[in-house]
Amino acid sequence: MDIEEVKQKILEFMEKKAKSKSKIYLKDMQRAIPDAKPMLIKKAANELVREGKLEYFSTGSTVMYSLPGQDLEKGMKEE
Amino acid sequence: MSEIKKHDTPMLEDLKKGPWPSFVDDIEQYGEKHKKQSCFDLLGQLELSYKHKETHWKHGGIVGVFGYGGGVIGRYSDQQEKFPAIWAFHTIRVNQPASKFYHSSALRKLCELWDNRGSGMTNFHGSTGDMVLLGTTTEQLEPVFFDLTHQMKMDLGGSGSNLRTPSCCVGKARCEWSCIDTQELCYDLTMTYQDELHRPAFPYKFKFKISGCPNDCVAAIARADFSIIGTWIDDIRIDQEAVKAYVGGELKPNAGAHSDRDWGPFDIQKEVIDLCPTQCMYWDGEKLHINNKECNRCMHCINVMPEALRPGTDTGATILMGAKAPILEGAQLSTVMIPFIRLEPPYDNLKEIIENVWMFWMEEGKNRERLGELMQRVGLANFVETVKLKHIPQMIREPRSNPYVFWKEEEVPGGWKRDIKEFRKRHPA
Repeated sequence: MDIEEVKQKILEFMEKKAKSKSKIYLKDMQRAIPDAKPMLIKKAANELVREGKLEYFSTGSTVMYSLPGQDLEKGMKEE
Repeated sequence: MSEIKKHDTPMLEDLKKGPWPSFVDDIEQYGEKHKKQSCFDLLGQLELSYKHKETHWKHGGIVGVFGYGGGVIGRYSDQQEKFPAIWAFHTIRVNQPASKFYHSSALRKLCELWDNRGSGMTNFHGSTGDMVLLGTTTEQLEPVFFDLTHQMKMDLGGSGSNLRTPSCCVGKARCEWSCIDTQELCYDLTMTYQDELHRPAFPYKFKFKISGCPNDCVAAIARADFSIIGTWIDDIRIDQEAVKAYVGGELKPNAGAHSDRDWGPFDIQKEVIDLCPTQCMYWDGEKLHINNKECNRCMHCINVMPEALRPGTDTGATILMGAKAPILEGAQLSTVMIPFIRLEPPYDNLKEIIENVWMFWMEEGKNRERLGELMQRVGLANFVETVKLKHIPQMIREPRSNPYVFWKEEEVPGGWKRDIKEFRKRHPA
């Protein structure tokens, strides 16, 4: 699986999850795309952030990913 | 400049009493001198938190600098109407130089930057080791980052699910006991793993800490997921004349560290020999003998008689893994994985181990699970095998009562099954 394919799968997963969760752990992406190596998923997710298609959400101790423009307050209550 | 508004803070006033320096005084003085409303709003909110017995900070957010997933920790006040100057009060972690050596001009520049673009309040240093710049607004983050990287050649440190800023003890720079060049190793790991430091890669935080000798001045054994502690494999160097000088009272034990009161004459038997945890040494009245094979590098004798005893010259490091503070499952000290490894640049042998550990942790670790918790969950024996290390006898403390390394069927000639009839032919019941 190449990086562009992984990026596409990440975006599809994020959009699907966005209905119920505003923020996603990297680990959840790795679980959702078991065919890709964790390192490649990490690289793809970070590239998506650079491209502005994803955003980091940091609590200081953990980092999660979200789609830009999400209601993060809603997500925080869910977490 | 608008007038500074001070809040009523009777409980904080109490903290100014007493002989010790008070952070309340410091913050007030700074706020008055620089006309910073944020200092007084910070104290006002703290007073309110003392009153309500709960924090008024909202933790976390999407703040950061472009391309980095760490280094900035979002902080917002939930009392924005009362304390508008601290409605956004983000923390910035700055990667400290190895062993925290600074030129005073670098510190001046950093403080000037923070006076202008932040609250002016700092924390030198945070527990991780970074320089911590406390309190700024979202729009100041990129300018601060630009100034740090372009003018001061400094970088942000790690936060979140990243590699945290590696830290090390003072090492060979100022310590005669350092068995490894901690600064060089710390710098090398920092530069090699820049991507892991700045972009989230892991289920949770991951810390390297490097100590030059088993005294472990950075407490790597208690705090780091991956502790690197300098050690030696040859014999402790002994200067018998200096040992006699300690016994005769010419040299002060512990380099005079406990000379604030009279502890009586130095007693080598009581203060060194009897306190050796492996009982591997004795004093015959003329000469100190050490059975080095039994020594477990506790450093006690070396600490007490630094002019007489020194670590050996054949040096390297012990690798331990899995320490953490008590969030889940209680505090854990790290476990010895490699009793001795030679460490020379470019440290490829070490990096191979690090990357094997990361690969396993990234695949198997749960969200917010530290390496030590993963090790507990999968079992030490499985962990050792998975990260391609070897089981060693020293990992078993009491072979007959707590063996956690078991033979597998394929490792035993003939496996588990045996032909009972054949057995009985040779051994009648």
